[in-house]
Amino acid sequence: MKPIEARLARRALKGDHQAFAEIVALYQDKLYHLAFRMLGSRQEAEDVTQEAFLRVYRNLDRYDEGMKFSTWIYRIATNLCIDRLRKRKQTFSLDAESAEHEGLDGYAFIPGDDRTPENEMLLTETQRIVREAIETLPAKYKSVMVLRYLHDLSLQEIGEVLDMPVTTVKTRVHRGREFLRKKLERKL
Amino acid sequence: MNCAQASRLMHEYFDGDLAQAEAARLKAHLDGCPECRERFAGYERTEAFLHMALAAPVGRDAPDRAALTERIMGSLPVRRRRTFVRWLRQYPGVTVAAMLGLVLLAGFIASWEQDKVLVVRGSDLSQIVIEGNRVVVPEGALVNGDLVVENGEAVVNGEIRGNLTVIDGTVNMASTAKVIGEAREINQAIDWLWYKLRSAVIGLAS
Repeated sequence: MKPIEARLARRALKGDHQAFAEIVALYQDKLYHLAFRMLGSRQEAEDVTQEAFLRVYRNLDRYDEGMKFSTWIYRIATNLCIDRLRKRKQTFSLDAESAEHEGLDGYAFIPGDDRTPENEMLLTETQRIVREAIETLPAKYKSVMVLRYLHDLSLQEIGEVLDMPVTTVKTRVHRGREFLRKKLERKL
Repeated sequence: MNCAQASRLMHEYFDGDLAQAEAARLKAHLDGCPECRERFAGYERTEAFLHMALAAPVGRDAPDRAALTERIMGSLPVRRRRTFVRWLRQYPGVTVAAMLGLVLLAGFIASWEQDKVLVVRGSDLSQIVIEGNRVVVPEGALVNGDLVVENGEAVVNGEIRGNLTVIDGTVNMASTAKVIGEAREINQAIDWLWYKLRSAVIGLAS
């Protein structure tokens, strides 16, 4: 018997709206959590979650049943997050340029982060430091680390999600771990 | 084992990929190297922090689940049910041909429905007697050529030197009857259609 997601995907492909709703119910929280850890903003995480499901829906006919459905859906969501992180970086460099010209409000370019001070207080100091350290990771390390520690994916699965060899995943996990150890060692 | 090798094994260990034998070798190195022990402890803390910080529930940053689900489902394009329309758009030639066929078929069926009056056709009708909706070829009479009867009864007592075709009617042959060609009865729309087509083609050819 096929995994439940593959069966749901088939039904959804035939136009069964309820089947797709079940896929959403299964993965909505997981994708949101992933996106939130990658992007650190509730608004952006919601946008990415919605966009990821839209892509899943549009590409159901291209879903290869040889691949785990979770791998496929994480790939779509992770790619969207990486795109956003890259764009954000470009926005920052644009920001730096416009700051030179002055007159423009540079703050307008800072990506939205709706964590309220009140929310922030609920986080322990340690959690805050760890998250800030993760924030500073470049996108390619960040995606590997988030997949590894959030969803406990094996290195093999991360390789499949990101479409790269396991050796590359390993190198990135090692470097990410090294980077964070050094960063945290100084602060904690 | 030097410290660089030990560091590599530490990563393998935290990846969950370190074999038993290598774990023992790493342990031996750590026992004798306080610097690597400190490094190992650092990795351990980092791992714990990462799990805590990343896997922890999003708490107050959690979205309104129902609202997000609604937004997701609302954003989906409506299209699956319209595959037939999409198919038609993809093959305009087939669509046009099908439409043409449909119109022709409708025309044929309409004319078939309308043709309820008696029709007698032939090249030699001089000796034929019509009684109501009966078309009689009297005994001893000779029809030189084809005879077509529509919506009536063909009573053949004499001789027909050609084909006899009866559409939506019956054929009544006497023992004295003689048909040189083919005697056919057509009672169904499809047969009739075939007959019309055939006569159209033959008409075009001749």
